[in-house]
Amino acid sequence: MRRRMLAFAAAAAVLLTAACGGGDETATGGETTGSTASLVLGQIDIPASFDVLGYASGTKMQYFTAVYDTLLRQDGAGEIVPGLVTDWAYDDTRTVLTLTLREGVTFTDGVALDADAVVANIEHFRGSSTPDLSNAAYVDTVTAVDATTVEITLTEPDPMMLTWLTQPLGYMSSPESWENEDVATNPVGSGPYVLDTEATVVGSTYVFTKNPDYWDDSLQLFDTLTMSYYADQSALLNALQGGQVDAAPFSQFSALEQVEAAGYESNVSRLDWEGLMLLDRDGALDPALADVRVRQAINHAIAKDSILSAILLDHGTVTSQIFGPSTDGYDESLDGYYTYDPDRAKALLAEAGYADGLELTMPSTSAIDQALLTSIQQQLADVGITVSFTDVGTNFISDLMGAKYGSSWMRLASSSDWQTATFALTPDALFNSFRTQRPEVDALLETVQKGTEEEADAAAQELNRYVVEEAWFAPFYFVDNVYVSQPTLDVTPAADMVVPYLYLIQPAA
Amino acid sequence: MLRFLVRRTVAGAAMLLVISTLAFTLLYLTGADIARNLLGDNASQEAVDLRAAQLGLDRPLGERYLDWLSGAVRGDLGTSWFGGSSVVDLLASRLGVTLSLVVLSTLLSAVVATVLGVWAAVRRGWVDRVVQVFSMAGAAIPNYLVALGLVLVFAIDLAWFAPTGYTRPEVSVGAWLASIALPVAALTVGCIAGTAQQVRSAMIDALRQDYVRTLRSRGLPERSVVYRHVLRNAAGPGLSVLALQFVGLLGGAVVIEQMFAVPGLGALSVASTRQGDIPVIMGVVVVIAVIVILVNLLIDLAQGWLDPKARTA
Repeated sequence: MRRRMLAFAAAAAVLLTAACGGGDETATGGETTGSTASLVLGQIDIPASFDVLGYASGTKMQYFTAVYDTLLRQDGAGEIVPGLVTDWAYDDTRTVLTLTLREGVTFTDGVALDADAVVANIEHFRGSSTPDLSNAAYVDTVTAVDATTVEITLTEPDPMMLTWLTQPLGYMSSPESWENEDVATNPVGSGPYVLDTEATVVGSTYVFTKNPDYWDDSLQLFDTLTMSYYADQSALLNALQGGQVDAAPFSQFSALEQVEAAGYESNVSRLDWEGLMLLDRDGALDPALADVRVRQAINHAIAKDSILSAILLDHGTVTSQIFGPSTDGYDESLDGYYTYDPDRAKALLAEAGYADGLELTMPSTSAIDQALLTSIQQQLADVGITVSFTDVGTNFISDLMGAKYGSSWMRLASSSDWQTATFALTPDALFNSFRTQRPEVDALLETVQKGTEEEADAAAQELNRYVVEEAWFAPFYFVDNVYVSQPTLDVTPAADMVVPYLYLIQPAA
Repeated sequence: MLRFLVRRTVAGAAMLLVISTLAFTLLYLTGADIARNLLGDNASQEAVDLRAAQLGLDRPLGERYLDWLSGAVRGDLGTSWFGGSSVVDLLASRLGVTLSLVVLSTLLSAVVATVLGVWAAVRRGWVDRVVQVFSMAGAAIPNYLVALGLVLVFAIDLAWFAPTGYTRPEVSVGAWLASIALPVAALTVGCIAGTAQQVRSAMIDALRQDYVRTLRSRGLPERSVVYRHVLRNAAGPGLSVLALQFVGLLGGAVVIEQMFAVPGLGALSVASTRQGDIPVIMGVVVVIAVIVILVNLLIDLAQGWLDPKARTA
């Protein structure tokens, strides 16, 4: 095959030498250790828009943190550290948050970044249909006490509030720029870089230049920062192998060795769990799922190790809990709570009255690895549970939220206790479609939300154990989230983000 | 001639109308939750409902289509749901990139395929067999595999070209050529293969005609027979297949642009499909349709110029 390819490549090359005299590409990336001349970040996503309607985190995070400062920052271990805000304090009820702003910061259009600007930004965010509107769900009022003090009043305590201020709710753009024609493509912030709209090709390559007046001297800035979008994993792989990119998120585990062989280092964090959600815990659609023994049987029926090897080539950690390793509720001893034990699964099913087996229907979509679905089907069939998958295409999420399926495969983020709770456990959580509610869970959730830090941590641990024992889910593993980078860079993976915040990528000392 | 042009233009416009109606209906009636897909999995229902209202998704489909159409007729295809840039501007910035790939590929293919096809038809024997085998293989191997092979050899092992990326010609023509060399090569292999086959069989047919014997018997040099008379007669089928190949290349460009991270129409259509940016998808559909209709018109004109008999058809 390769020889035949060579023959064609050679033929094509002959044809092409007429058209071009060979291309000398200037190598990109810092060739010398710790060079700050240029930084090229590979991206697997593009920002919808730089205005509030497009604000996003996750795979789009770096675009925004290049041009916008956030009110608060994170240190990579999940601890909140100062950003534009130098000091913050809650009152005793944890519903009034007072922020003290850094003095003398201005947006690149000269507008002062004072308390009024912060209030305007938060109000602007709340009044829009921004995707992360829920960041501000508990915000009641925002007031400027004086030029450098902002008071945020919450309708009830929000354990995620400080985190939101490191993310879209905390992006600060110049209020003067919101009326501009080009607000979506020409962001005006106070961040470390300014978007070079001339050199940028929207949807493909985004070029930034250093903000010469940046206030934070502790960060080393690069003269130019380029973000190149790769829609295709193999294109990203080629770019990495060709040394065109200094750092990028990389999820194609089968090719990770090639990337490491090309001189990149892997920075690993664990943010998401994958597995089955057993949503119909009161048996509205699937009566069998109301029996805890059936849910436990499903947990025992899955050979997590073999699926982890087959699907993720062992780039993950087997678990039975949905609280991620960086959360306070995480309890290492729960990782091995449900072992692979088909006999135990059959016995549990027989006890529950399903000795003759039972049937479940789960949604599927082409985005899910079909081999994974087949494994799930096979392993559950081995203990007598017949699973049929219905392809729901792009409606996967809306069908799940609409309680159309009692159980489903899912990959969910879990980087803090309250995020985990609001994604999966609270009565109105996004993925508590059947609104499962138990008094003991309510009490624990209350403490996680409103208690002091120690109380909340202890409650999260207890809540985690309850959910594992009651088998609300059948988690398989935490997925390795890999960000590869050249040794010329010092990268700190973020505890709650698929890519590092821009301020966590620095030239190597 | 004028009547022919008018007739074709009217037919083309009707075709465009049908295509755009179909595309619009299909895109908006997928049954998917458009606003939900725009905002992602973690967005609250509140944000989703607000966005749906802002985009006018609650208005009747027919009304929205007429709005779109009245804009389109005036050259306004609306604005992207992402980034707020006008769809026409987006398409304009991407069209040149794709056209440069596809046009270069087509020209290169035309020249090389003609040479190979004529050579195979005139010489027959082993030359013919080599060309045949090359054509079969070139047509059989999908262009992304060709692309992968090219990248491995010329970008990663030999490092003659960059594996991904695109330089605009206004920045540097040399760098631009270098940046599109591999994508064009990847597109061209299959195109040459398909076209060479057609040229070869058209040439063989033409060489068997009586007039060729007549010309030869009058002592015309073989070169002049083959290149002035036979080739002109064989050019028709060659052009038809080239037009088909051109349209095929537009499709091939989607994959190739993705692989080389080249910001063309193909990459735009994939990205906007992924994001659910319907105005942009509509724009891409219209542009591709216009290109295909125009290419067919041009081919018919060229056929007429080559073969006077075709003009009355």
